[in-house]
Amino acid sequence: MYALPFILFMRLHRAALNARRKDRTWKFLGWSAVSGLLAAVLIGFLLFATVILFAAGLWWLGIPLLALFAIPVAGSLITRHALVPLGMYKTAFWVGHFTSVEDSDAMALVFSAWALSHKPSTAGEVWIAARRDRRRPLGDAEVVTTALLASARGDAGGARHLMRSTLDLVEVHPAVRELAGEWLACDAAERGAWQELAADANAARFPATALTYFLEGVAAQRIGAANPPNASVLYARWLFAPHRRATSQWLTAPLVPSASAQNVETVIEATEPAPERAPLPRAVAAHLELAHKASPSELADAVGAWDAALADPATRAWIARRALELDAPLGSAERALKDVTHAVTDELARIADSAKLGAPSGRGLVGGELARRLRHGRLDALEQGFSRWEARSSTGQVLPPIDEWREWIALRTQYDAAVTAGGLDLRRLAFPHAYKMGNSMSAWLWNTRSEYALSHAIFTWLLGEALAVGDTEAIEMLTRNSRLAVSTRTGRVEFPKS
Amino acid sequence: MNQIAENPFFVLGIAVDASRIEIEREANKLLGMLELDFAGAKTYLTPLGPRPRTSESVRAAVAALRDPYQRLVAEVWARHAPASKVIAVEPEAPTEITSDGARRALGWRP
Repeated sequence: MYALPFILFMRLHRAALNARRKDRTWKFLGWSAVSGLLAAVLIGFLLFATVILFAAGLWWLGIPLLALFAIPVAGSLITRHALVPLGMYKTAFWVGHFTSVEDSDAMALVFSAWALSHKPSTAGEVWIAARRDRRRPLGDAEVVTTALLASARGDAGGARHLMRSTLDLVEVHPAVRELAGEWLACDAAERGAWQELAADANAARFPATALTYFLEGVAAQRIGAANPPNASVLYARWLFAPHRRATSQWLTAPLVPSASAQNVETVIEATEPAPERAPLPRAVAAHLELAHKASPSELADAVGAWDAALADPATRAWIARRALELDAPLGSAERALKDVTHAVTDELARIADSAKLGAPSGRGLVGGELARRLRHGRLDALEQGFSRWEARSSTGQVLPPIDEWREWIALRTQYDAAVTAGGLDLRRLAFPHAYKMGNSMSAWLWNTRSEYALSHAIFTWLLGEALAVGDTEAIEMLTRNSRLAVSTRTGRVEFPKS
Repeated sequence: MNQIAENPFFVLGIAVDASRIEIEREANKLLGMLELDFAGAKTYLTPLGPRPRTSESVRAAVAALRDPYQRLVAEVWARHAPASKVIAVEPEAPTEITSDGARRALGWRP
C-alpha cells in the first residue's frame, strides 16, 4: 500500500534530475529544488518507517529497508560526501549499482574510480581495471573510469584528454557524463581556463551538475560573456552546489596578483627589427627574437628576414670579401652561405616543431626548405603512426578496448596537431593515408571486435576530415558507415539515413 | 642557437675584427684566469644571455678562429648579432587567474 506512492515519488525524483540535465536556465535550479524536495520527502518517509519498525521490535527489518530504499535516492550524496573522501572504492562500487537503473555497472565503476582517486592504491586500481575490462564493448563509463584512474596516478593531462574524448562516443550515460563534465569544470577552474569552461557551457557539451552549473556562471562572469548571471543568480547557483566553503571564493570579484608576487626575471631586451636595418643584422635579430618567443608571426618574420638576407647581393658580396680577406680556401663563400642556410633552417624547423607552428609562406632559400622539411617530417610521422596502428588488424594483435581507444585518440591528437600547424595543404596530403588505415581499422573493430561505439567514433571523425578536404569517394563511403545503427548498453543509436 | 650561444667571438669576448695575435693573447689570459678560478672569467655575455665559460670552450674557440673558414662562418653570426645587452624587466601580468588545488577542494583529486 505504501510502496506505490514511494515508487511514484522515486520516479518523480529521477524525472526531475533528467529534466534538470536538459537546460541551463532558471529551470535548472527549479528542477534541482524539486528533486531535492522529493528526496527529502522520501528520506523522511523512510526514516519514519524505520522508527516505527524499531518501535515494533522489528529493527532487523528496519535497517535493510532503510539501506535498500535510501541508497537509490541519496546514493550520489553518500558517495560524494562520505565514500569518496574516505576512499571506500569497493563500497562506492556497490552503492553505484543502486543509484542507477539502466546499466548500473557504469555508475558503479565511475563511483569506485572516483573514490579510489582519493586514496590511490595499486590493488584498488587492479580491482577496478579488472571489472572495467570485463565490460565489452567500450563505452563512456569505461573511458571516464580510466580517466579517473589516470587522475589518481596524478596524470591530470591524460585524465583531461580522456574525459573530453567521451564526446566522440555515442553511448551516453547521463550521470557518467555529468561527472565527467564536473571533473573538467573543476579542472578548468583550477587552471583558470575560464574561456574553455564557458565554451563547454555554451555548447552544452556535458550535462551539468549543480557544481558545474555554478562554475559555468563564474566562467561567464570572468570572461565578460554576453549574458553572465548576475550576483543573485550566481549566489543561488552557489547555494545549490556542494563544497560551498571552497566555492565561496568565486562569489567575489577575481583577485589580482599582488605586485610583490611578481618575480623580476632577466630577459634579453626585445629588439624590434628596425625597417632601415641591413638585411643580415635584421635576420639575426629576428632569429633571436624567435628563440625568445616562438609564435607564428615571429617565425614568419624570421623566415622572411633570412630569405631576404640570403638573397641580398650585399650579403653575398660581404661574405665573398671577408673570405678573401681571411685567406679562406677557394669556394668558402658559397660553402659558408650554404652552411648558414642549413643551420638556420635546422634551427627554425626545430623551433617550429616544438612549438607546433605551421610553415610560413616564404619560398626563398630558408622558407622553401623549411616548408618542405616540416611537411615531410610531419607527414612521415603521421603515416608511420597510422600504419603501425592498422598493422594490428592483420597481425591479430588484440589490445583491450580501452587501450584501442587510447591509441586512437593519441593518433588523432597527433594528426590534429600536424594539420593545425601544416594547414590545408598538409591536411590534403595526410588524409588519404589516414583514411585508408582508419577505414580498415574501424571495419576490423566493428566486424571482428564488435566495438561499435569505438568504430563509429573513427568513422565519424574520418567523415569530418573527408568533408574538410573534399574527398568525394571517402565522403560517400564514410557517410554510409557512420550512419550504421550503433548498439550500446543504453540502447540502439540510430542515425538519419539522408 | 649554438651559432650565437657558442660563438667563438662571444666565448673569448673579443671584437669580430680582432687580429690573430689579439685572439691568442685573449685566450691565454682567459685560460690563466680560469686556472686561478677568477669569478669574472667563468661566464661570458651573448645576445641570448650569459653562458658558462670553461677552459675547453676557450680552447675550442681559439681553434675555430685559427681556421679561416670557421672564422668566416662565426663572423656571419657575431658581426650581425645585436649587442649582448641584458636588462631586467617585469613579466606581463597573467591573463588568467589560477586557483591551485581547486580540483582537490571540490572533491576531485589530485
